[in-house]
Amino acid sequence: MLRIVARIQRRSALVWVAVLGASLIGTAASIAALYDTPAKIQTYATAVTTGNALVAINGKVEGIDSLGGVIQDEFGFLAAFLLPLLGISLGARATRREEESGRLELLLAGRIARHEPTLAALLVATATICATAAVFAVGLAVTGVPVVGSVLYALSLGALAFTFAGLAALLAQLTLHARSVYTWSLIVLAASYVVRGVGDVTQTWVTWLSPLGWAEKAAPFGDQRWWALAIPVAIGLGLGGAALRLASRRDVGSALLRGGAGPARASARLRSPIGLAVSIHRPATLGWLAGGILLTGMMGALTQQLLDAVAGNPALSEAVGIVAGRPMDGFVAATQLYLAIIAAGYVVQAIGTLRAEEAEGRLEMRLSGTLSRSRWLAAHALVVLGGLVTIVVCSSLVLGLATALSVGDTAELGPIVSSGLAYLPAELVLAGLALAIYGLRPRLFGLAWAGYAVMTFIAFLGPSLKLHQWVLNLSPTTHVGNPPVGAIETGALIVTAAIAVILVAVGFAAFQRRGVPQG
Amino acid sequence: MTDTAPIVRTEGLTKLFGTVRALDGLDLIVRPGEVHGFLGPNGAGKSTTIRVLLGLMKATSGRAELFGADPWHDAPRLHSRLAYVAGDVALWPGLTGGQCLDILGATHGGVDERRRADLIERFELDPTKRVRDYSKGNRQKVALIAALAADAELLVLDEPTSGLDPLMEQAFQRCIRDRRDDGVTVLLSSHIMGEVEALADRVSIIRRGRTVTSGTLAELRRHTRPTVHAVTALEPAGLAGAEGVAQHQSQRQDGHVDSRFTVDPDHLDAILGRLHTAGIHTLTVTPPSLDELFLRNYGDPLGSGAAPGAASSDARGDASGNAAGDASGRAPEGASGDPSGDVPGDESLAEAAR
Repeated sequence: MLRIVARIQRRSALVWVAVLGASLIGTAASIAALYDTPAKIQTYATAVTTGNALVAINGKVEGIDSLGGVIQDEFGFLAAFLLPLLGISLGARATRREEESGRLELLLAGRIARHEPTLAALLVATATICATAAVFAVGLAVTGVPVVGSVLYALSLGALAFTFAGLAALLAQLTLHARSVYTWSLIVLAASYVVRGVGDVTQTWVTWLSPLGWAEKAAPFGDQRWWALAIPVAIGLGLGGAALRLASRRDVGSALLRGGAGPARASARLRSPIGLAVSIHRPATLGWLAGGILLTGMMGALTQQLLDAVAGNPALSEAVGIVAGRPMDGFVAATQLYLAIIAAGYVVQAIGTLRAEEAEGRLEMRLSGTLSRSRWLAAHALVVLGGLVTIVVCSSLVLGLATALSVGDTAELGPIVSSGLAYLPAELVLAGLALAIYGLRPRLFGLAWAGYAVMTFIAFLGPSLKLHQWVLNLSPTTHVGNPPVGAIETGALIVTAAIAVILVAVGFAAFQRRGVPQG
Repeated sequence: MTDTAPIVRTEGLTKLFGTVRALDGLDLIVRPGEVHGFLGPNGAGKSTTIRVLLGLMKATSGRAELFGADPWHDAPRLHSRLAYVAGDVALWPGLTGGQCLDILGATHGGVDERRRADLIERFELDPTKRVRDYSKGNRQKVALIAALAADAELLVLDEPTSGLDPLMEQAFQRCIRDRRDDGVTVLLSSHIMGEVEALADRVSIIRRGRTVTSGTLAELRRHTRPTVHAVTALEPAGLAGAEGVAQHQSQRQDGHVDSRFTVDPDHLDAILGRLHTAGIHTLTVTPPSLDELFLRNYGDPLGSGAAPGAASSDARGDASGNAAGDASGRAPEGASGDPSGDVPGDESLAEAAR
């Protein structure tokens, strides 16, 4: 059984170890290069400990005035999500997902006891987590962080992932779908994050209620509390044990928490093409919106601290992509570019949903009624456009308000929102590209993602890699004018919008003419 | 358009996917008020034909007419008069069955609310359950109820009963008969013989994108021979060599004579006389089942890949003995499109069916 699970998980486990290892070591190396003197580390420590925003986001790191502390602080936000996610995905994939698909039933018909798949999933998860921790420890030690601290830090992160693996394994026994396992685990993670933030800001025992707090309180670069590792390990073992107990006792295919009954009739809104399109796109739209708001809210809240930090350490402004002009404008422009990438990702993904509708046969069903192709596509295009505008406007507003709160001045609100809106034509070019590919050859939809990857690469790294201007011009974001640092280039925006309109028209015309379904 | 004008008509329909010829000159006529069985093995082109008829795909050449109009150009308008159940029913996983019913209903011409409620009861569907939690059979029921509740003149059903249990299959057959009594035309694509035999007025059998034969069940049966199984007190005199008798087998069992053979319909009367003289104990005369018609039309080794395999697995169902027995002793003027390959194919099929 262990071999089967190991086989199923091998690829994703390797990817996890590689991605996590690379992101920590990358962070560590760039920090070691950036803060190469004790004085610079001291400046950083003072910058991040004044005010509460960074403490709430990255956590309150003990021993912040050492290289390890700086790394722990910088990696804090990423680690707070990536490591629990590692545990959750390892816990859920080999258990409920297999059961839901019916593959588990096939295995249990063989000489395998009911609890063995869960046990094997937990063992594989533990092995993957140990491998990740080992990569972390070695990576940190190589960067020049004290070995003992590195090992404790790596173990505390591993224990964090282990707690969530146990949680996911238990939830997999309780819920009916792998989807619900992810949903509930992520809710627990979000709650842990908030509780840890509250505890750190108020400097009370509340931090000890959160799994993220346990990792933090191990204080690998401060007091080094080794015993704090016992809490997550014990709780992870407890959750895993409960999962095993449930797995050996319950019926296969059953679940304690079942989805409740839903409405027996569809509302008039849901029956309309637009209403149904809204319900199809809603989850993804909310997800991308949450991402946008998280990004802009965080950046906005940090504005004042960042301005202070930049004043003390000019190298920092280059590290976050601000090249010239007023630091405040540079900061907003960089954030808006990030937001544009998020928004463009949303439109490509949302139009990709149409391909899924077609490949899974739902489009055929829809078009066998009185709904014409153009109305169906128009309804979806409108809803995606609405989602895009919502994401851009809401995130820009959040950025404006958070910035205003941080610097205590609302003067930036207008320019921030208008620079967000200035990116709309560029985002629509991506939407047009995706729609044209969907209309012409849905099978080649990967090209839309390739276009997105090229745009992201040029937008983020183009200027710092000093690429040729014609390469930079390939990305629609280049033509926006980098507001509010530069002026919005109205003429270029009109041309960009026209290109988007042409691409959309091509998509509609091609969709009208082609056979349905095409996988 | 008069009442007798066909609801569906295709002439020489071809459809190419790249170099693959999915339809190769397919002719199909569905007349108003009939249940038309559309038979063929997997990959014969049934679903492609239906998609062309629904205007979802454009034919490479040939004509397709739905209600006398071109479905490619007029799809939404024509669709207000029909309801469709796809072979592989896909619904929105996050919605409930009831919500899906209403969404599908909203795109049909109109829904009879009373019939909807009645059908939910007949098919024992829980409309408050999420589609994600439904089994395949339950998803199929949602699509069927939506189609049967629609105020449609034509039902287009593409293998509609896959995933239904026998009880629900019965309910489905009753519903189809009710709808036909209301004057609704049904195009029923299937590879389940029993279902088509129980429901269809006329049948078209297709293979590799081409219509092999078409007609009422009686017409199709005219070229085939009933199977006789008789238990008699004495050995029937001269049965084995009698005119019109083939595949004769007989054996003694518990003091009786057990004879099995097929007979040409024209000679049935004379043969029954001989059996009567021998003292009939039990007698069964089985008309050729659709299975045999089907097997007969797929008995072509050139259709090697899918055709014989599909046919033989179906034949194992209920009439395999007949199918095997009937295979070699049949009239040579069979409606097969490729007579030269007819006989060897039958032999291989007969083997497969055993």
